[in-house]
Amino acid sequence: MTNNFSPSIEKIVNDYLKRLKLHLKGFPEKDKEELVKEVYSHIYESFVSDPTEDEIDRILNVLNKLGEPTEVVSSRMSTAMVSMGKKRKLPLYILAGVTIALFGVPLGIGGFAFLLGILITVGALIFAYYITAFSLVVAGWLGLIAAIIKIVDPGILDRYGIETMTFFADPTLSGVIGIVVSIICAALGFFMFWLGKYMMQGIRFLFSLPMEKVKEARERRRLKMVQSKYD
Amino acid sequence: MDNKIKQLRKGILELAILGCLYHESHYGYSLVKTLSGEGDITLTEGTIYPILSRLAKEGLIRSEWIESQQGPPRKYYSVTAGGKKTFEVLNDEFKKLAELIVDVKKEPEKKGQEKERKKILVKKEREDDK
Repeated sequence: MTNNFSPSIEKIVNDYLKRLKLHLKGFPEKDKEELVKEVYSHIYESFVSDPTEDEIDRILNVLNKLGEPTEVVSSRMSTAMVSMGKKRKLPLYILAGVTIALFGVPLGIGGFAFLLGILITVGALIFAYYITAFSLVVAGWLGLIAAIIKIVDPGILDRYGIETMTFFADPTLSGVIGIVVSIICAALGFFMFWLGKYMMQGIRFLFSLPMEKVKEARERRRLKMVQSKYD
Repeated sequence: MDNKIKQLRKGILELAILGCLYHESHYGYSLVKTLSGEGDITLTEGTIYPILSRLAKEGLIRSEWIESQQGPPRKYYSVTAGGKKTFEVLNDEFKKLAELIVDVKKEPEKKGQEKERKKILVKKEREDDK
C-alpha cells in the first residue's frame, strides 16, 4: 500500500491485513483484493479521525474497534462461498476428484481402513465395557431377588427346579451370603458406570491431543511472525 | 445471552445499513459513524463488511471506488431501485414488530434497548425527511 502511515504504524496495519488475507483463503482473488483494500481504507479513515495522541495507542484503538479479522469475514464466508466462490472453484474440485480417484483410492482406502479399524476397536472396547457393567448390575439385582426368595421361602425355587444360592446346606445362610455377593456385584457394575465417565473423558482427551498440537503449532508460528516484525 | 444480542443486532444492522444508504451514499467508515450515532450502540465496525457484501450480492446496493482528497480511495455504497423498495417493505415490517415489543413490556431492560433502537431509526428518518 502507499505511504499513508508512518513505518511503524504501517507494519501493524500490514500485519492485520495479512491476518485478514489468511481468513480469506479460498475466496476469489478479486473479492479478496477488494475487501483488503476496503478495510485498509477503513483503517485509514478511522485512524485520521481518532483523537488519541500516541500513534501506537491510536492504531491499536482503531483495530480494536474494527474487530478481529474473523468478524470482518465470518458471515461473508457462508454467502460469498455459495454465491460466487463456488463457480470459480469448480474445475479445481473436479481435478482434485479425478486425481483422488486415480491415485488416491488405493492409498486412501488403506488409510481409511486403518483409521476405521482403530475407531471400531475403541468403539468395541467401550461397548464391551458398558455391557459388562450393565450385566453386573442386572446380575446383582437378580441375585438379590433370588437370595431374598431363598430366605423367605426356599421351597419356591426348588419347585421350579432352580438350583441357586446353595453355598451352604442352610438356605438362610446361603441367602444372606447371596445378598452380600449380589450387592457387591451390583455395586461393581455401578462403579464401572461411574468410572466409564472418566474413561470417556480420557478417550476424548486422547483424540483431541493431536488436534490441539496442530492448533498450538499454528498459533505459535503466527505469534513468532508478529513478534519478529516488532523486534 | 451475548449470542442472542449479537443475533438481534445482526438482523437489525442489515436493515439499519440499508436505511442509512437509502438516504445518502456512504463509504464503510462514514456508515459506521452514522450507525453508531451518539455512541450509545457499540458496534464492532468490521461486522458491517460481511453485510455490505451480502447486500451487494443480492443486488440491493451498489458500490464504486472514488478517489479521496487525502489518503486511499473510498468505496462508496448506494441503494439500487430494488434496495429502495426492499427497505420500504422491511422498514414497515420492523416498525410493526418494534411496536409489538414496546406493547408487551416484558423486560424493562430489553424494552429499553428496543426503544432506543427504534428511536435512532425514527430520528434518522426525520432528519432526512427535512
